[in-house]
Amino acid sequence: MPTDLGRWRGALQRLLESIVLGLVGSLAIVVLLGVGFRKAGMALAWYDELASILLAWLTYYGAALAALNGRHIGFPTLIQGLAPIRQKIAWVVREIIVIGFFVLVAVSGAQVVRALAGTYLVGLPWVPVALSQSVIPIGALLFVIAELLAAAETLTLGASGARPDAPSATPAAGTP
Amino acid sequence: MTLLWMLVGLVGLVLLNVPIAVALGVVAVAAMLATSGVAMLPNVALVLFDGTTKFPLIAIPLFILAGAIMNASGISRRLVAFASALLGFVRGGLAMVTIGASLFFAEISGSAVADVAALGSILIPAMQRKGYSREFAAAVTSSSATLAVIIPPSIPMILYAVMSGTSVIKLFVAGVIPGLIGGMLMMGIAYGMAIRHDFPVEEAFELRRLRRTFRDAMWALSLPAIILGGIFGGFVTATEGAGLAVVAAILIGGLVYRELDWNHLRSAMLEGGVQTAVVMLLVGTSALLGTFLTQAQVPQQLAAGITGLTDSPWMVLLLLNVLFLVIGLFLHSASAIILVVPIVMPLVHAVGIDPVHFGLVVTLNLGIGQQTPPVASVLVTACSVAKADIWEVSKVNVPFVAALLVTLLLVTYVPAIPLSLVRLLFGAA
Repeated sequence: MPTDLGRWRGALQRLLESIVLGLVGSLAIVVLLGVGFRKAGMALAWYDELASILLAWLTYYGAALAALNGRHIGFPTLIQGLAPIRQKIAWVVREIIVIGFFVLVAVSGAQVVRALAGTYLVGLPWVPVALSQSVIPIGALLFVIAELLAAAETLTLGASGARPDAPSATPAAGTP
Repeated sequence: MTLLWMLVGLVGLVLLNVPIAVALGVVAVAAMLATSGVAMLPNVALVLFDGTTKFPLIAIPLFILAGAIMNASGISRRLVAFASALLGFVRGGLAMVTIGASLFFAEISGSAVADVAALGSILIPAMQRKGYSREFAAAVTSSSATLAVIIPPSIPMILYAVMSGTSVIKLFVAGVIPGLIGGMLMMGIAYGMAIRHDFPVEEAFELRRLRRTFRDAMWALSLPAIILGGIFGGFVTATEGAGLAVVAAILIGGLVYRELDWNHLRSAMLEGGVQTAVVMLLVGTSALLGTFLTQAQVPQQLAAGITGLTDSPWMVLLLLNVLFLVIGLFLHSASAIILVVPIVMPLVHAVGIDPVHFGLVVTLNLGIGQQTPPVASVLVTACSVAKADIWEVSKVNVPFVAALLVTLLLVTYVPAIPLSLVRLLFGAA
């Protein structure tokens, strides 16, 4: 029987997975279209700009998904060697730093989106620049929510006896 | 003084298990706020966005996606079977198979962590069943996976090319001979250790089996020819080659091997997307810190400081090798390239070092950094697959890291090793 926390977590997981799937597929299709049209001597004017924006979107929406699943690269060895009470303190400090950073990024991103109102992309002149830049505040907000849900999950596990030393040290397999 | 505080802060945050990408961002924002006040806040979002929108970086998710699709299509399994038929008769056969399969996989993946995850999950349990210690199994898998960043295609090389304005195709070509040398040295070490520890022969050599596994793996083996042939032959750019790799992987996995269904493709796309995001977030926050360092004129100060001491390219290369080896202990390779390459490039140009040659030096240094704790992404993955202690594996890993160091010295001081193939294909580098 899933708890409220489990339901929220599952909903965010599904939402982020759908976004990431859509972006990966779109990026691959855009690049292939770009290659095809260039080889046919009809280079697409918007190809570079759109592909670059899709990559930025994939970065920040994917980063939120990675945060939800503890996939970002860290160094937990030292924390794991501490006494349980120190581990808890270190974990709380870590969470405050991570969430604080992305709150600040969200505020900064919102300022930029407001400042860019009324400007449009070069290759796709009907698309507002603010729309492409919106990934920073929205992505940062989703990262914060993902981190809070993952933290709540860790606390729940902690209450049932597991150590709250949070995310895995194993990096994502695509890391170079 | 600010730089010292930034370094202390960065190490402190990493030790606190703050994700490295976030730690870089926090240090950059703190330094910017301390020096320029809150007025600079919008720059944070702008640089985070711009840092991830450089067009050549688009090759990264596509190579990662191609690797994930190939892995979901049973390509790793076929490469292991072929390498086993080819090399399994030697003493310590499975260690040889691991290194040989890594050499093949390196030509299609571009990521050492992808390599260790794909091959380690097959070969580490197999080695343990044959009586190899889990520490040895993890060490040989981890070290040989580093060949993936030296042999093209290579994600660190793409990052270096973007940051230094160097031709990624020339870098790819330059990596071929050093990668093969590294692989040969590792095979020699694995053979010596196999004799010493009396590791078994995997199976007797059988031509019929070699033919059968070759036929089965032929399409997988043709992928490097498609990808690298297209790029080296000038038919496609690196980004287009990466797109081609995705199409080839889908066609081979779906139509030839018939192992790639929608569920596999969905999982591969999700895995590729998350892997890309993890790397690219590092790229974005490193760009943030790099912007601050550039504004603080650190590159110019470093170049002036070192050229004041020596203008010998060999001495400068020695100093830069030491710098990158130390940085590799504490920083992920993507961050190290984004942060440090723009800082040292004025110096590299000032003393007349070929940027393609230097690119190989950087890539090898950071490849070694993937094997040296505390921040050792590839080693950590191998230890995780083998369920082995990272420090115990590190002890067994010393001879293999030594092989990479010998390769680094050869690449550094015999420029013909990385550059001869470049000159052959493109004229003077």
